[in-house]
Amino acid sequence: MLLDPAAGYLLDLGGALLFAAAAAHKLRDLPAFTEAFVAFRVLPDAWARRAARLVPCVELATALALALTPASASAATRRAAALAASGLLLAYASAIALNLVRGRRELDCGCGGRRDRRPIASWMVWRNVMIAAALGAAALPWTARPLGPADVLTVAGGLTVAALLYAAVDRLCGEIAPRALAMRGMP
Amino acid sequence: MTALAVSNLTLWLVVIALSVALLAVVRQLGVLHERIAPVGALMLANGLKVGESAPQIAVQDLDGRALSVGAARADERATLLMFVSPTCPVCKALLPVLKSSLTAERHWLDIVLASDGEVADQREFVRAQRLGEFAYIVSAPLGIAYQVSRLPFAALIDSQGVLRARGIVNSREHLESLFEAKRLGFASIQDYFEAAAKKRAA
Repeated sequence: MLLDPAAGYLLDLGGALLFAAAAAHKLRDLPAFTEAFVAFRVLPDAWARRAARLVPCVELATALALALTPASASAATRRAAALAASGLLLAYASAIALNLVRGRRELDCGCGGRRDRRPIASWMVWRNVMIAAALGAAALPWTARPLGPADVLTVAGGLTVAALLYAAVDRLCGEIAPRALAMRGMP
Repeated sequence: MTALAVSNLTLWLVVIALSVALLAVVRQLGVLHERIAPVGALMLANGLKVGESAPQIAVQDLDGRALSVGAARADERATLLMFVSPTCPVCKALLPVLKSSLTAERHWLDIVLASDGEVADQREFVRAQRLGEFAYIVSAPLGIAYQVSRLPFAALIDSQGVLRARGIVNSREHLESLFEAKRLGFASIQDYFEAAAKKRAA
């Protein structure tokens, strides 16, 4: 199956935006993220402390690779970047799923800063799996066709809408749905 | 072709506008939830009774000072025990009210903040919200003794160590109704209306 390059650009750049934002969040308050990462208990504590610093670096590298490879480098590098991004998201999804299975529903997801503590939830697993699938699709071979102004419109418009919808869904599932649920339990 | 391009551009603009509108609606929904969130009854029916002795608990505040919550006090001052948490948005909205009450009710009332959880988080909360002027207690037994079910929760204890009012406090009005209850000598607004009804009947 072949992917149209405009769709490919949209997926790659969207992924780059997502990873850059994620890395920026973590780098802004690295100590808080380190605590959250250790609390996930997917690695022994001493390892996790060291690995926590690597996570934002890996995210930043992935963001750069996703943003830069589609235009210049070979198809193989482009596919590697998309697959790495997809793998990273699946790893997060499994870490969250593992802790949900362990019953640790109060665990901080580590996606915001110290102020914005948010417990892990199953919708985060689904979100990550869905974005991972989209980035996996970007790893498919692209058709070769010259890009025109209409494609710029597609990519720019698509990115804007994707970012806005991501923010809206994030708020809806992360803040509003849990509160509505809590209110239903009120006397 | 031009018509298609124009139509496509228009569609993109509309989709972006719709997404912006959706995000705005979601944010408004969040604000709405925050406003109406835990509007509970001020008085809770179960557990501790207003007018009886408050549970006495010896605790230490974040600065290491020893406090005996619920004990009778020689200096004739009442204590407002305010249960808050760094993770509770309504509590944050209430903090300015507490600060102004601390000054306004200074002549008869001490306000003590109480919370539960990681001490490091609490210190960060105290620092970020500038709560240095309050005594701040981190103690799980305290919350259990006062049967705190939801936050922000207040308990008003008079100088004899008698519980004068307790319940969920969401707004300035709720907090002031506690002070008003103390001032008038009624445990709650319900009590006030009952007493007024009796007086009329007599």
